[in-house]
Amino acid sequence: MILTVLALLGMQQGIADRLSGRVPPDVGAVVESLGTDAAARGLPIDPLIQKAIEGSAKRVPPERVIAAVRLVVMQLDTAAAALRAGGMISDTLAIAAGAFAINAGMDAHDITNLVLRGGGQTVVNVRLELNVAGTLVAMGVPSSEASNLVSASLQSDSPATKLLSLPSRVQGEVARGATPAQAAAGLARAAAAQARRGPPPGHPQPPPHPPAPPHP
Amino acid sequence: MRAETEADGDVVRAVLAGDRERYAQLVERYRDRYARYAARMLGSTDAAEDAVQDAFVRAYDQLAQCQDPNKFVGWFFLILRNRCFAERRRNRTQAPLEAADQVAAADRADGGAETAERRRALQHALLELTPDQREVFVLKHVEGLSYGEIAERLSTSVPSLKMRMHRAYDRLREQLRDHE
Amino acid sequence: MSEYDFHPLVKQLLDGDITIADLPAELRAEGEEALRLLAAVDRSPVALPAVPQRVMRALTRTPQRSLRWLLAPALALAAALVLWLGGGRSHGPIAAPGAVVTVHFVLSAPDARAVSVAGTFNQWDARATPLVRTGANGMWTATLELPPGQHQYAFVVDGVRWVPDPTAPAVDDGYGRRNSVLTL
Repeated sequence: MILTVLALLGMQQGIADRLSGRVPPDVGAVVESLGTDAAARGLPIDPLIQKAIEGSAKRVPPERVIAAVRLVVMQLDTAAAALRAGGMISDTLAIAAGAFAINAGMDAHDITNLVLRGGGQTVVNVRLELNVAGTLVAMGVPSSEASNLVSASLQSDSPATKLLSLPSRVQGEVARGATPAQAAAGLARAAAAQARRGPPPGHPQPPPHPPAPPHP
Repeated sequence: MRAETEADGDVVRAVLAGDRERYAQLVERYRDRYARYAARMLGSTDAAEDAVQDAFVRAYDQLAQCQDPNKFVGWFFLILRNRCFAERRRNRTQAPLEAADQVAAADRADGGAETAERRRALQHALLELTPDQREVFVLKHVEGLSYGEIAERLSTSVPSLKMRMHRAYDRLREQLRDHE
Repeated sequence: MSEYDFHPLVKQLLDGDITIADLPAELRAEGEEALRLLAAVDRSPVALPAVPQRVMRALTRTPQRSLRWLLAPALALAAALVLWLGGGRSHGPIAAPGAVVTVHFVLSAPDARAVSVAGTFNQWDARATPLVRTGANGMWTATLELPPGQHQYAFVVDGVRWVPDPTAPAVDDGYGRRNSVLTL
């Protein structure tokens, strides 16, 4: 994605406006600069802005806020590289989700594998895959298991609903005594088996926009 | 011929509203107002030019914080003053020699080398004072302000200014005697 | 008083409060010396013709400065456009545009005087979303409509203590604490 000069200037003013009044000016200046550079590389800037605002709201010293924002930039760069290695080019929403997953503890190559396995399957938002995978890793599921479980769930007939339900289902299995790794592996096996069998007879075609699950 | 039809406050407000080019009007208007003060505080015209330029840029950046746009020049003076004091702290060990050249050129007509030398010696001695002492001396004896006017500009009292000044007199005398 | 100090009367002379004629004879010489000192003051005017051009050039040199003043109007739109220009295999959000999800936030905090929730959905503003004490068991609740996507949040107890949601997955917040994760 090539940003025109005007778009870059717009980016800078957009960053300044969002930070104004919410972070100290010295922090704002550094974040503006980091954000503009990041945007020029095709990275999303929302994660940087959020992290800066969060740090200021939590009364964190300026140098620590800036360090945290720099870390976010690093995670975004890593995520972008992992996506590119999987054949995906510059989707800022997916990059942000990838950075979240990396921050949660996911390995970059598991992200790449997830993207690679997603090709040719049912059309699903990569962002959702990465958000769910990251959430699973945050719950203690090992990175590769999380990647496998998400990929296996893509093969169901309503992948979005399936994906969004994964965290609570893992939580349910853990409550019954499984480790997060065991829970994820078990659910992945069940998903793969279901995919081989195909949808049960009599099941209606799922709506194109499935209702979102209630908060667990 | 410079038409000064617009009040400072109006120009400041226009700049704050987004018309950056109008700031040049204020800079033109006041570029020399405190140039001599800066030159005597810092010891050379070159240093004064840097300080005045920096102060105008700083004033632009902080223009939204100017409490009374109609009193821009007084507010600008305080910014320049801070800049001069900061400069002096940075260049504590330097003894600028430019004063001699500039002064010598101006004085060749009236009294020649001796007057030029005395001027250079006094400027050198002034730089040995503390910034506070130098400032009160410059404002009264170079700029020609009264103690009352200085007290108002610096938000201080006449007695404390006189105490500063009298110490300055003694230190200047000491410096000049050493050089005779 | 050192031998270098001017006599107080001579200082009054220097201040312009008296004239040299007012000095006693023994101070006349010192008075002349003082007046010679004043005569050496350089009062020649100083002109700085290059300043306006240098100032205006300095104002344009730093990108932020000029941007803030000149380009204020149409920029938010450009920023939004850029964010959406991402290509690749993104297929848009799962839910219909504009769809929101009702989320119930619950925290058990019997000893708290005030509880709020702060996160990516409200600019981490600890005052924006207070929870309400519900029932007699020290439960605090709030209900929000949130867009689909990934959200991070934490509870703020008594305005100062940041507490992650014990029932939700947590990630490192980069500041020594944990944030709770909500994926919709």
